[in-house]
Amino acid sequence: MLLSQYDPCAECKVCQHIFGPYDMRINMNLSLLAQHQRLFSVACASLTLSLTLSIGLGQAKALADISWLDMIGEGSVALLSLAWIFFLLVSRPPGRVTSALVIGLSCFLFSAVLDLVDEVMFYEHTATGLSMIESIPSGIGMLIMSYALYQWHQEQLILNKQLQKRESNSREHDQVDFITALYSAEYMRTQIDSQLQNSSSPGFSVVMLDINNFDLFNRQYGHDQGDHLLRELSDIILMNLRSTDLACRYAGDRFILLFPDTDLRTAEQIAEQIKLAIANIAFKPNQSGESVYHHLTFAAESAITGDASDSILQRVNRRLDMFKQHGQAHG
Amino acid sequence: MDKLSFFSIDDKVIPAHQLAASLLDFSRSRQVNKHKVLRGTGIFNEDVISERKLSARQLLQLMNNARSLTPGNDCAFLLGKRLFPGTYGAVSNALTHSRNLADAFRILAQVRSQICPFLTVNRYSTENSQYWVITDAVGCEEQFQFVAELYCTALVSAVKLLLGQRIPFQFNFPFARPKYIQEYEVHLGHRLAFSQPVMSISFDKKWLSTRCVNHSDSLKWYALRQCRHVTMPKLGFLEAIRTVISQHHQYGLQKVAEHFAMSTSSFKRKLKQHGYSFQQLQDEVGKQQAIYLLQVQQLTNEESASMMQFSDIPNFRRSVKRWTGLTPSQLRLTTQS
Repeated sequence: MLLSQYDPCAECKVCQHIFGPYDMRINMNLSLLAQHQRLFSVACASLTLSLTLSIGLGQAKALADISWLDMIGEGSVALLSLAWIFFLLVSRPPGRVTSALVIGLSCFLFSAVLDLVDEVMFYEHTATGLSMIESIPSGIGMLIMSYALYQWHQEQLILNKQLQKRESNSREHDQVDFITALYSAEYMRTQIDSQLQNSSSPGFSVVMLDINNFDLFNRQYGHDQGDHLLRELSDIILMNLRSTDLACRYAGDRFILLFPDTDLRTAEQIAEQIKLAIANIAFKPNQSGESVYHHLTFAAESAITGDASDSILQRVNRRLDMFKQHGQAHG
Repeated sequence: MDKLSFFSIDDKVIPAHQLAASLLDFSRSRQVNKHKVLRGTGIFNEDVISERKLSARQLLQLMNNARSLTPGNDCAFLLGKRLFPGTYGAVSNALTHSRNLADAFRILAQVRSQICPFLTVNRYSTENSQYWVITDAVGCEEQFQFVAELYCTALVSAVKLLLGQRIPFQFNFPFARPKYIQEYEVHLGHRLAFSQPVMSISFDKKWLSTRCVNHSDSLKWYALRQCRHVTMPKLGFLEAIRTVISQHHQYGLQKVAEHFAMSTSSFKRKLKQHGYSFQQLQDEVGKQQAIYLLQVQQLTNEESASMMQFSDIPNFRRSVKRWTGLTPSQLRLTTQS
């Protein structure tokens, strides 16, 4: 999907205005909106119903009777709940939690609109019922949303579990690498630093791994296939890690793994398993029948007392370069 | 020096189907809106599939857009990897079929402006190593770091392609150590220094005799013949002025302007378009030579002063201090690796 040439969002003026520099497909996927036709109509229905009811049943007040402060306050409540519905629809795939959140917010929106129009409209006795029920939908909406938020919490716990090997104990979405969706080197540096600070005697290991002849592959099959390969390889790396470990993309075709509370031997063992797993993957570039196999070179280092993130990264990088040079010399 | 032998930042002399096309391809692969990446450049999407030529300023603006619109910090590095052999045709062929690295660098010196119009390379040689001083040829200003990253990566990956193995280069950059140091380490290697007085690249001379994998004298001869048909001027404007200054130390602004057949005021105006003043260029040339003579060659004050056409030593010491912030003896102590 990401590789497709067609980009429906490229021309979208709205999101260009809202979200500055990056292209929208990165920040905001409007294609999700198309999957929410039903929920979209629920929100629209709530808006139109409340507007027609409140405006249709009342008569306009004299300008002097309108309290502008109340107007601003209640107007912003209505507008913001509308905005929240929009953001929910563009950021979440369809499902139970999304439905509950949108329906809850729509009820709330209904009351907010009644409240707002109330400020400029005057109601006859026949319509007093309307102002009486004004607050009921909002109460129901709040209840639905509370339920939905609890479900969201449960969902988040599951998602966190899915992200486990990609993410350590903090979330920084702007440090996620565009190609592999792993975290970048910057995130790894912070994680190594916190490992170094948290324990008096550091007992963690770091592995750096690098694909052999990645440049050659890029030249032969094109850079899009190279990016594709990086994505696939990052999945395989994750598959071979334990739930406590962390994988990040370092730079280019280099990945870095963090193994907390792990000695050098175990780290090397896991890296060896990754190497074996990747050597057995028959990657098929360009949907052709041809298979390309890939080999890794890796280097491992354990933290020593008094280490800094830069020094451990430097050691493991140098060792990897040494191995690569050695491999080169022997063909 | 006749008027046609240099190009200024606004001269449209760089073929659009080369670097501009790679920049656009790369931005597209990162899902950047093509209208946004071309904004303010005066380049059109059709240009990259035509014979149109662009100015250095247009390309620098395009680089700036691509750098800020693509996610991550690896734009220059990944582009650098794609630069060679790329779409440079005869130039790439001539380099690919050169005999050894020394031969390839000799060809590069001849055709450099066709493949790298932004940076000047002044090659020096010491007993054991080759030492290249890199300067801004056309006025890259804020894009200098991007340009440096781009062409340094291109150098490393092109040499690897020519020789079939990676050779160690030492890079000295004038800018501060960036946060995304990992890109430098992976693409350029670990011999890096930042915040240096001049930008330089050095490497062991022993590599010069390494044979190229695809050497062929006849193919190289033919490619070189084709290269001659290209009418790209050899020197950038700033580069041309530096050449004149370093050959004639005593020349002032007026003399140099005369050399380019310009009036003093139009010469100054043109310099300003490139973001430089005459004094700045004079100081730069002085700084470069002082660093080379004192720091790299380890010559004495007397030898260096006479090489730089200074008549008295105190004046020489004062100038060195002004250019580099260090006295000649301090400069000799801070040896280059």
